[in-house]
Amino acid sequence: MVSAPRILTYQGIPVWRHVQIIQWAVQIMSGIVVVALVVWFFSNMVGAIQDRDIPSGFSFLSREYQTPIGEHFLPYDSSDTFLYALMVGITNTAIVAVAGVFLATALGIFIGVSRLSTNWIVSKLAMVYIEFFRNVPLLVQLFFWFYIVLELPGIRESVVVADAFYLSNRGFSMPWPTPTDYTVALIWLGLAAIAIVAGALVYRRQARMEEQTGRSGYPLIYSFATAIVIGAITWLVLSFATGNSPFDISVPEPQGRFGNIVGGFTARAGLMVLLTGLVMYTASFIAEIVRAGIQSVGRGQTEAARALGLSPMNTLRNVTFPQALRVIIPPLISQFLNLTKNSSLGGAVAYSDLTNIAVTMTQTAPAVSIFMLIMASYLAMSLTWSLIGNIYNRRIRFVGG
Amino acid sequence: MKRTLLLFVALSALVLVLVGCGDTSALETENANLKAENEAMQAENEAMQAQNEAMQAQIEEGMAMLAAGTLPTGGEGSRLNTVKERGRVICASRDDVPGYGGIDADGNNVGFDIDLCRALATAVVGDPNAIEIRLISAAERGPTIQSGEVDMLVRTVTWTASRDAGWGNYAQTMFYDGQGFMVRADSGVTNALELEGATVCVTLGTTTELNLQDFSDQNGLGITVATFEDTDAVVAAYDAGQCDSFTNDNSQLAALRTALSNPADHVILPNTISEEPLGPVVPHGDDQWFDVVKTVMAILIYGEAYGVSQDNVPSAETGNTKVDRLLGLSGAFGQEELGLSQTVAQDVLNAVGNYGDIYDRNLGPSGINLPREGGRNALWANAPCTDCPKGGQIYAAPLR
Repeated sequence: MVSAPRILTYQGIPVWRHVQIIQWAVQIMSGIVVVALVVWFFSNMVGAIQDRDIPSGFSFLSREYQTPIGEHFLPYDSSDTFLYALMVGITNTAIVAVAGVFLATALGIFIGVSRLSTNWIVSKLAMVYIEFFRNVPLLVQLFFWFYIVLELPGIRESVVVADAFYLSNRGFSMPWPTPTDYTVALIWLGLAAIAIVAGALVYRRQARMEEQTGRSGYPLIYSFATAIVIGAITWLVLSFATGNSPFDISVPEPQGRFGNIVGGFTARAGLMVLLTGLVMYTASFIAEIVRAGIQSVGRGQTEAARALGLSPMNTLRNVTFPQALRVIIPPLISQFLNLTKNSSLGGAVAYSDLTNIAVTMTQTAPAVSIFMLIMASYLAMSLTWSLIGNIYNRRIRFVGG
Repeated sequence: MKRTLLLFVALSALVLVLVGCGDTSALETENANLKAENEAMQAENEAMQAQNEAMQAQIEEGMAMLAAGTLPTGGEGSRLNTVKERGRVICASRDDVPGYGGIDADGNNVGFDIDLCRALATAVVGDPNAIEIRLISAAERGPTIQSGEVDMLVRTVTWTASRDAGWGNYAQTMFYDGQGFMVRADSGVTNALELEGATVCVTLGTTTELNLQDFSDQNGLGITVATFEDTDAVVAAYDAGQCDSFTNDNSQLAALRTALSNPADHVILPNTISEEPLGPVVPHGDDQWFDVVKTVMAILIYGEAYGVSQDNVPSAETGNTKVDRLLGLSGAFGQEELGLSQTVAQDVLNAVGNYGDIYDRNLGPSGINLPREGGRNALWANAPCTDCPKGGQIYAAPLR
């Protein structure tokens, strides 16, 4: 072998055999490829938009939307702007996502623990649940729930409980607190938040005392009492001061020739179907994650806990589950992301989620811009879940070596 | 080892310059080099921009030539040539509304919209079956035609100014429709103005949503909507009583009523709350293709106006100059300039029939039985006289 000329050596080694240099070269090459690809995709898109005269830009955001939105939790009127309508859509999606995540987690943990039950029936039922809901496409499940809800009685034959709860194939209505005056309501909500913080502080203090002295500190009772007393006092003070109680209970009631429900809170059929579908589907995945997490905790932990005389429930709650959490959290977060993104199927069952509203917007505004906004919104929501997950994950990770 | 060496020769060539002659500040040099590289790329970018501008100029030149009529028709990249080479026409349509776009017992795409696509395929490729139907949802219509991935969009698509500006070019109104309401007969509602506080089912991503909002706002009805992505779900929801009313174009209401569990229990209200001219749309940016589609639609309409239907297409001169010109037996109406065959009308009328044939087959007595006589969708006049009005609005630019 001929030795390389001096110019081709670095630290006495030919450059093509120098590990450091090869690594750098690969890095630079891949960097260039990535940048070139991104530039190519983007210029291709912009070029295509210009070639075909596809309207783009974001000036439409301040125009009036003038289109109906079926279900909205923020007050909405057809004279509101596109931007506000998008916010309405984001809120709708966020509500389904948050409610769905809580319900799916609760159901998933329940099913996952049942799967490990020593009771044969319970364990097999959980298995059947998991295998069924995990293996049927979500859209199919949504249509299944949609047709189930359609089979509920019509609006005039609603199932009524105590003249306040109505269930029909149009949705479920129940009494709901509504603010009589927004300022008063907001002030009280602020005070209520302070009351909850005070309750939490009391809980910590009592719990620490219990730990240190061994005497019962009744932390739950004390903390709830504190929060409720502060909440009630501020409520009364505000009511006397303004002559208005912060919230009234609005009771739903059928009105008009079509008997549609007015007042209270109504979860319309679309929301019920979408939420049920998402929760049942995602819970099956969460159940498997929980099962895997619990099984990842060494058997010795359970045996030691049992040997110390802890009940099976206590073993799960205080020994196994906290350790399992470290394994559970990361994949759990990705299920939260899935649930949030899957809520975009809402349009199939008449729920006005972000995608549903945005797709309608393409009728009167540039589609490319709108889809860029939708992507950004979902990205922001997903990143929020990741952030929450990461913060929680950091809190529960092993401390020290 | 030799192989590894060969593999990395290309890579190392790139970093050669960075390395220098064994000095230790390689990283710094590298950094500087990256910067240089960046600048080089910027320069390249600028060069590309310049090139782009040059191309733009070329295009403008071409446009000028086109305007001056010096460019031969059917340039290299024209859609007409693309379609001829491909051997079939790609249309975006639907298969869920009987009469307009449905599926027959043998699984073929049939319907008024589908027949318009077949007519175009006959004119351009010479075969009514040389079509490819892309099934799309209502909401996908805009992006589909904007991207130019289909040659024609015929999916009960209403002609509006903003769509014409943003989606593509509307060739010709082939059906005059209007939005109406269907309600249960036992609700006692006889007029749409009585729909106060009602829940109305509607399809996602259609003008019907916008019209419904306008109607509700104007009359203070406070209508609540339930928006569904696909038509089957809307019909199921309305049928099960999830909505008090179902709004759509009247023609589609008539078609979809047949799919309800008991059609006789439902009535279509007399109010029409919108103008809905329906017709084929072509992608922006190809005038020749736009003209071809307009001409094919005109052939269908004039076929009926001149009394030439599918079963009596003459192949020899008739002596009637209008008929002879239409059929390419004498004279011309621009076939050559459009890149179509001289006898394009004969082929089209033989293959799919005239406007009336298509209407009768799909929407008339042999279809969903929508009355035509006396309505807007009758011809403006009947052959052979041009001054005996039929009272309709179906009319096209004269073929001469």
